[in-house]
Amino acid sequence: MNHIFRKLQVTFPQQASILNQSLCRATPSIQHPVWCTAAMNERQYRDMPTHGIGRWRHLLLKQAPKKKKDRNQQKELVSATDTAYGTLNVTVSGYDMTVVEHYSQYIHNFCNRLNIKVADSYALPTKSTEVLLMQEQGNKTYVDAVLKTHQRVIQLSSLNASLCPVFMDVILKNQPEGVQLSVQEHTEADYQARFKARPELEGLVAQINQ
Amino acid sequence: MAAPCRKMASRSYSQLLCCFSRTAVGSGACRRFSVTPIDRATPRASTAADRATSPWSLMAAVCLQRLPVITADCSPIEQRFKQMLQQMELEKSMLSDHELRLMEDAERMSRRQADDYDSDEDLGDQEIMMTQDLEDTWEQRLKNFQPAPRVRADVDEDLTSVQRCLTDSLVLLAEQQVGAEKLWLLPQAAWQEGETLRRTAERALDSMTAAGVRATFLGNAPCGVYKYKLPKAARTESSVGVKVFFFKAILVDGTPGSAPTAPLLWLKKSELQKYLKPAYMMNVGRFILNL
Repeated sequence: MNHIFRKLQVTFPQQASILNQSLCRATPSIQHPVWCTAAMNERQYRDMPTHGIGRWRHLLLKQAPKKKKDRNQQKELVSATDTAYGTLNVTVSGYDMTVVEHYSQYIHNFCNRLNIKVADSYALPTKSTEVLLMQEQGNKTYVDAVLKTHQRVIQLSSLNASLCPVFMDVILKNQPEGVQLSVQEHTEADYQARFKARPELEGLVAQINQ
Repeated sequence: MAAPCRKMASRSYSQLLCCFSRTAVGSGACRRFSVTPIDRATPRASTAADRATSPWSLMAAVCLQRLPVITADCSPIEQRFKQMLQQMELEKSMLSDHELRLMEDAERMSRRQADDYDSDEDLGDQEIMMTQDLEDTWEQRLKNFQPAPRVRADVDEDLTSVQRCLTDSLVLLAEQQVGAEKLWLLPQAAWQEGETLRRTAERALDSMTAAGVRATFLGNAPCGVYKYKLPKAARTESSVGVKVFFFKAILVDGTPGSAPTAPLLWLKKSELQKYLKPAYMMNVGRFILNL
């Protein structure tokens, strides 16, 4: 039985080669276009030695994906040492928003230039003050003006004690008119004051604690 | 500089709560200012072993500055630029509520004056005060307001007055006896055992001016140092010279008082050269900012 199969096998390649040759000669024009060579599914340049020569993202360290919640987490409070102050809040406040903002930008740029690390830079909510004047004839008061107080805070993570007098001197000498400057320690209470009160949550907590 | 460095390390440390504000020229010539020390750590007592005998004796001086009260005048180019920017802003801006009301009132008046005026059309309550009248009362109030003069020539000439030259920052100088001669210097005092250099500077300020001068020191670290050797005749084994450390302070309140113990001067940086010795001036000029 085997020899019969062998004979059959022998004849097949002969027939196949004849077929191939005929195919080759019959269809030379189809083979010239580049996208028809070999098999359609394989990309030839993956075998090229320079394949992936420009790849660089695989060399970077893996970064954890940033979540939106992380942005507003509280930064750690740096405590004061013998040679440096801890976390300080430089608050700039005034009635004229452009002046206040420009001055806070100036302080921020100045800190960058002196390599003082700026931890955070945010704005506190605007406070509106109504100025009521008594009328000349009569007892009624009427609204004369509405003054809005804007506040900008620049948080410095640490300030070297030897740099402090220089820093303070320059920002004091460049203080514009109508702007109040205040430098204070940053406390936990300052951070919590920025959040809105949640009355329902507080009510529920009080109920639990009762 | 072995001894001074060690002194700096063991100095007491205090947190500062400073509030600075720049308001219009009111009663005083100085800015409103408040300092609240939060925490004052006790200074570590330096043992006898720490103190190496050094031939340099230490002194601390205070550079008391009065900050400018009003803004300096603009130069001609700055004035022209300011005018141009104001004009541009005016042209780009929108109409305010007041201006809209003015236009509405003018329109209503013109409608009333028209021949085919129907009083029923005039809806809304009649305003007791027309907007134009409001503007006139404001103009009147502005005319009645007299601002204080910005520059007073007679006060500017008086070098001892703290109200002179409101547009510049001034430095306090005191005439002191140094060795055999009287010199104009920043107020200084000799350092004593057991106190910090900043405390020495505060003492120097208190001794030179009467009580009633309040100053805030800007930090515990000095801003400059000047060392000089004593003349050969006065030099001994244990004292070769003196090192003076300068501390910056800002004047908070009040005039130096009626009877200062030593003659005092308030000078601008450009005028300091006439009163200070050249070597001293070179050193001191490095940390006095000309802003």
